[in-house]
Amino acid sequence: MKSLPLALLLAAAVAHADGGDADALALADATADAQTATRDWRFLTELAGASAQYRFNDQPAEARLSLDGRIDRRFHDDWRFVFADRLDLRSTGGHQSSVNTLKELYLGWQPDTDLLLDLGRINTRYGAGFGYNPTDFFKVGALRSVTSVNPASLRENRLGSVMLRGQKLWDGGSLTAMYSPKLADSPSDDAFNPDWGASNPQDRWLLAVSQSFGNDHGGNLNPQLLLYHDADTTQLGLNWSVLLGDATIVYAEWAGGRQPSVAGRAAGIDDTAFRNAASTGLTWTAAAKVTLTLEYQYDGAALDDAGWSALRSGPLPAYVRYRQLAAQRQDLTTRHAAMLYAQWQDALIRHVDLSGFVRQDLIDDSRLSWLEARWHGDDTDIALQWQYDAGETRSNYGGLPQRQIWQALLSHYF
Amino acid sequence: MKPLLAVATLVVAALAHAAPDAQALLAASDAVRNPDKPFGLTTTLIEYRNGKQTDTSTLAVYSSADANSGQFRSLLRFIAPKRDADKLMLKSGNDLWFYDPASKATIRISPQQRLLGQAANGDVVTVNLAGDYSASVAAEEDVGDGDKQQRHAYKLELKAKTPDVTYHRIEMWIDAANKQPVKARFYAESGSLLKTAYYRRYQQQLGVNRPTETVIIDGLDPNWVTVMRFADYAWRDVPESWLQRDFLPRFKPQ
Repeated sequence: MKSLPLALLLAAAVAHADGGDADALALADATADAQTATRDWRFLTELAGASAQYRFNDQPAEARLSLDGRIDRRFHDDWRFVFADRLDLRSTGGHQSSVNTLKELYLGWQPDTDLLLDLGRINTRYGAGFGYNPTDFFKVGALRSVTSVNPASLRENRLGSVMLRGQKLWDGGSLTAMYSPKLADSPSDDAFNPDWGASNPQDRWLLAVSQSFGNDHGGNLNPQLLLYHDADTTQLGLNWSVLLGDATIVYAEWAGGRQPSVAGRAAGIDDTAFRNAASTGLTWTAAAKVTLTLEYQYDGAALDDAGWSALRSGPLPAYVRYRQLAAQRQDLTTRHAAMLYAQWQDALIRHVDLSGFVRQDLIDDSRLSWLEARWHGDDTDIALQWQYDAGETRSNYGGLPQRQIWQALLSHYF
Repeated sequence: MKPLLAVATLVVAALAHAAPDAQALLAASDAVRNPDKPFGLTTTLIEYRNGKQTDTSTLAVYSSADANSGQFRSLLRFIAPKRDADKLMLKSGNDLWFYDPASKATIRISPQQRLLGQAANGDVVTVNLAGDYSASVAAEEDVGDGDKQQRHAYKLELKAKTPDVTYHRIEMWIDAANKQPVKARFYAESGSLLKTAYYRRYQQQLGVNRPTETVIIDGLDPNWVTVMRFADYAWRDVPESWLQRDFLPRFKPQ
């Protein structure tokens, strides 16, 4: 008789489970059709307020309104039109300024399943690395208006290059070739200038070939090789990422070739030699919705310990010129760096993500820390960002004018 | 004569109820869910937590089965929510690539990372289970389907052939009459229930009566319910050469 209560209990548990399923099915029954139609455009507005604490000469807070749109339309089956533009309107202490970034404007034609051709301003980007991309050869001069130091933001808000691009595909691999001509001599600060001088300062070409080797599932080994050329350098590049287990990606990015150093370029000295640059790391994701990326970065064209110390203690104009050039080229400031990036999705509260990174300069021990809390609504995001630049005088991050920046953002997607 | 008749009846009955080929049954139910040629469809996922709708997302899926493994490779394009619109994913087994048209970055992601993304369930639609699992018939029984009707079904026990699958064991009920999948339970290696799925709203799509809705109930949190709806079925040309990382930035679906 003792087993009877147990049997009743089991029966009740089973009935409860089925009841749970019945509730779920009832929810599905009551669900209205909510399918969204495909659109050829997207539009984002972002309202931001930023307050910074400066090392010298305090400056007033900044308000910013950004309008960011993209049209990507197919027509006549084989043709594609792409237009992407961003306008940043800023107000600081009663002074207004605006910067328009014509990110992309090109026509694409796919004459054959395996052949694609594009002509126009195209934002083309390579690189397996997270925070530093030696093979992203077209990053030089591409930043026109920086709204956040977050690598994701730096990638999104940049100029494409005017180029002719072709791609041939085959099973498991492809060859891409692009040619980007010189269109102007120097960049422009004019608000609505398309800035051909920034995006096309010299003749450049790039070849990228990739091939997957491997198993039935398409190949875990899928290296990408690049060959880049401009007036100053010819470089080889490699991108490679591999899955380990089901939660870890290991990646490596390398570029190397004869080229001047950043200091040489800044000083107008031809010190061309073979120089390497690399970015390698791993990304690990935990079931608790936490993703961590740890990356080591090396730039053989940047100053080493002795060179950096000498520049820091030398005349200010040379220091400033070097830093401006490194920033404009999106190169590392010093030879070795490390980065740790963390993201926690649905952190404690659903739809709230916490993310942050630390960039550590391994030469002068200065550090940039950045944190963000972001709430996602249906079409609206609200975010709070904090940035802190720590380090000794004239160090990589200690030399930045701001010590600390707070920024609040309200974004709406139309 | 009577005993002979009884024996004959028994034999006939036994024959009629002889266990069917479980693997063939599973393959037949795969064919009910997935078309046998490259195709496209739109998936809408509506998520509920504690009875309240929390997230909605829509993806366009282009799928093509690998000639050798029979496994599907898919190109997925996010349509909604708006912040994710036009992001793309290439899925070929555990080979996963994600592309964001805003940052132009094509990055490899891990299966664990994919589970964090919007519409983590969105690509489970095109999975051929017969390729990855060994099936055996565990029972023949009546089971309640997603429309609360009783169906006479074979209960199949599926065991993963390789360790690199998300679900190590699956219980699957397949309608004995028409091989339609009715319900499935997905288990982790530890034995814990990860998901329960009901296949329902059968409609004629691409020549076969297929489930156009899957209701997924989370095993660890039964108050987390995902309703997946499939629409816009169409035969699509998905060339083999498109199923690679370097094509993602160029993929512009119709």
